Amino acid sequence: MDSLKIILFLCNWGPHVAFQELQDNRSDIPADIKMIRIPCTGRINKSLLFKPFEMGADGVLLIGCSPGSCRYGSGTNIAIRNTEDTRQILELLGLNKERLQLKTFLPDEPEALLQFLKKFCEEIKAIGNSPVSFKKEDLKAGYPSLSEIISRHDIYACQDCGKCTSACPLTLSGKQFSPRALASSIIAGNIESVSVQEDIWSCLTCGLCYDRCPSAVNFPDFIKDMRMFFKNRDKNGHESHGGFFQSLMRTMTSPGINTKRWENLPEDIKIGPNSTTLFFGGCAPYFDKFFNYRLGVQVSNANMDSLRLLNFFDIVPSVMPNERCCGHDLLWTGDLENFKALAGLNVETINSLGIEEVITACPECYRTLSYDYPKHGIDIPFKVIHIYDFLETEISKGAVEFRQTGDKITFQDSCRLSRFSERADLPRKLLQRLKPDIFKEMPESGSAAICCGNTGWTGCDSYSKALQVKRLRQAKATGSDLLITSCPKCQIHLKCAMEDPFLGKEFGMEVMDLASMIARTIYWK
Amino acid sequence: MTEKNKNNATTTEVIITGFGGQGIILAGRIIGKAAALIDCKESTLVQSYGPESRGGACSAQVVISDRSIHYPYIRRPDILVCMSQSGYEKYIDSIKDSTLLLIDEDLVHPGNIKIDPFAIPATRMAEEIGRKMMANIIMTGFFTAITQAISLSAAKDTVAESVPRGTEELNIKAFSKGYDFGLALLKGRKKKAAGKIGAIA
Repeated sequence: MDSLKIILFLCNWGPHVAFQELQDNRSDIPADIKMIRIPCTGRINKSLLFKPFEMGADGVLLIGCSPGSCRYGSGTNIAIRNTEDTRQILELLGLNKERLQLKTFLPDEPEALLQFLKKFCEEIKAIGNSPVSFKKEDLKAGYPSLSEIISRHDIYACQDCGKCTSACPLTLSGKQFSPRALASSIIAGNIESVSVQEDIWSCLTCGLCYDRCPSAVNFPDFIKDMRMFFKNRDKNGHESHGGFFQSLMRTMTSPGINTKRWENLPEDIKIGPNSTTLFFGGCAPYFDKFFNYRLGVQVSNANMDSLRLLNFFDIVPSVMPNERCCGHDLLWTGDLENFKALAGLNVETINSLGIEEVITACPECYRTLSYDYPKHGIDIPFKVIHIYDFLETEISKGAVEFRQTGDKITFQDSCRLSRFSERADLPRKLLQRLKPDIFKEMPESGSAAICCGNTGWTGCDSYSKALQVKRLRQAKATGSDLLITSCPKCQIHLKCAMEDPFLGKEFGMEVMDLASMIARTIYWK
Repeated sequence: MTEKNKNNATTTEVIITGFGGQGIILAGRIIGKAAALIDCKESTLVQSYGPESRGGACSAQVVISDRSIHYPYIRRPDILVCMSQSGYEKYIDSIKDSTLLLIDEDLVHPGNIKIDPFAIPATRMAEEIGRKMMANIIMTGFFTAITQAISLSAAKDTVAESVPRGTEELNIKAFSKGYDFGLALLKGRKKKAAGKIGAIA
C-alpha cells in the first residue's frame, strides 16, 4: 500500500496546545498526517471538508475543542452538523464515511490525541487508499481562443438593441448587469475588466435573452464558452456553497469511485437489473444531504415518485449501480475536461448494461444527456426520454384518473426544459390532465418564465435572492397554495428564499414536483 | 347457437349498436372481414336497413365461428357494443351473465345491470383526433383489445383497406388509440384486482 494522505484540520485553541506538546516531546505523530491549523472547527464548511477528498485524500480529521470549551461558543456544534452531512455524502459517493471524522480534545489531553491519531491511521489503512485520482489541471490545448468564441457565436451580429438587457431577470432585479454591455466589452477585448470578470459568472444562463434576441445570438452558450475560456486561464468562478458541488462532481470523474446513491430504495419500488430501460436519477440525494439542515429539502422524492410511476405503468427499470453526475453543472461553470470525463464514464457504464432507453426526471440531466453529450462528441447509442414524455404517452392511452386534491396550483418552469428544450407545453399538458380545481399561470410563464435565481451553482448573491422573492410574489399573487416545480434546483432555490427571516411567513407555500403530484393522485379507473 | 358449440366456445356472437351514421355497419364489416379473410374463420354480418340508417337506432350483428354458420341472427350476444343510449336499451335485456358489454361512456349511461361494462370515451377521443366520424374505428380498436375476438394484425389490415383512400394513416391512429385504451383498461382492472390502485403504496 502507498503511504496515506491524511489531512488534519486542527483548531487553533484547545487541541492545538495538545498537539504542540506532542511535537515538543517529539512524540511519534504518524508521518502520514498533514496538519492544517484553523481558527475554529465551525469555520470549516462542507466544501472545505470535502475539498481534500476531491484532491485524493485518504482521510480527513477535524479536531476541535470539547463542547462548552469553544472559544466562539457555537463552533463545535456547527462542526458536528457539517461533518455529519458531509459524511452522509461520502457514503452516497461510495467513499466510506469513516474517512471523515470529527473529534474534540482539551488542551491537556495530548496522550489521548496521539492515541486517536494513531488509531485513525490504522482505520484508514484498513479501508485502503482513496479511489479518487487527482489530476492537476493545467492549461489545455484545444480550448477556443477569444476570437474563436466570438465568431463561433456570431457576437458581431449584436445590433446593440438592448432587448436582452430589458428581458434579463438579473437586470430587472436591480443588478448592474447587462448582457449587451458584456457582449460589447468582450468584443472590445476588455476581458480583464472587473465587470466582465464578475458578470461572466453572474449570468444565470437562463436563456431569456436568447429567446428575445432579434439576431439570435445564443448568449447562454456564449457565456458557457467564455467560462471555459476563463477557467482555462485559471480564473475561477463565483461558485456558490464554497464550490462544494463542483468539487463533488470533479471527484466523481475518478474511474475508481463506486457510488452508492441507489442504496436504501423504499421497499415498494421495484427495480429490474436486466431491464433495457434505465432510470437516471441525477444528484438529488446529494442535494438532500447537503441542504438537510437548513431547508428540509427532499428533492429525491421526485425520483422516487417517478420510479413509482414507472412501476405503476408496469415498467420495472434498472438503475445504474455506479451512477455519476451528468456533468451539467461542470459544463456550465466552464469545466469542459471534467464534464467530458463524467460524460464518458456515464455513457460507458450505460452501454455496458445494454441499455436502449434512458428515462430521467431531471430537466438538466435530460438536456445534458440528450443534447450536450452528442454536441461534445460523446455518442449516445440509447434514447433519452423525459419522464413527462413517458407519462404523457401512457396517460393519453386512458383508463387512469386523478384524485382531486382541491389545491390551487401554479407552475414554475424549468429553463432547461421549457426554454432550452422548447418543451413548455409538455408539463402543461400533464397539469391539464390532473384537472386541478384552479391552475393559474404566473404573469411570466412558459418559455418566458423567469428563473428560480441560479443555474450551475454559481454567482448566487443578493440579486439572486431579489429575483427569487419577485418570483415567489408572483406565485403568491396567483392565489395558489401549491407551487409545482419540474426541476430539483428550482425547488431548492425557491425554498431558500422562502426561509428568509426578514420576509417572515409571507411566502409560506407548499412546493411539490410535478412527478410527485402525479404519483400522489393517479389511480386506475 | 347450439348448446354444443357454446361449450367448445368456437362461436362468438357480436351485436354492435348505435345511431345511423356513426359507422356501426362499417365497424361490423371490419370485424367480420378481419375474422373471415385474415384470421381464417367463418363470419356473417346482418345489418339493419331502413329508417335506422337515417339517424335512428342502428345495428350490426356479426357471428364469428370456427365452423360454418347456419344461422346469422343473434338472440343472446356474447359481445354487445353500444354507441347510443337507445341501442343500449334495445339490446340490454338480451345479454347473458358472460356477455362482454362495451360502451361509449359519454353516450351510454348504463342503468342497474349485473355486468360491469367496459367503457371508453370513443367519440370524445375521436374529437380529440379531429375526426368525430372515427369513433367507430376507435371502438373497433377497443373491441379488438378487450374481446380478442379478432387478431390485432387482422383488424389493423382490415381497417386500412376498408376506409376511404387517403385516410388510412389517421384511421390506424384512431384504431391504435382505441386499442391502447383497451389494453390500459385491462391492465388497470388487473391491478385493481391485485389491490394496486394508485402509484404510492
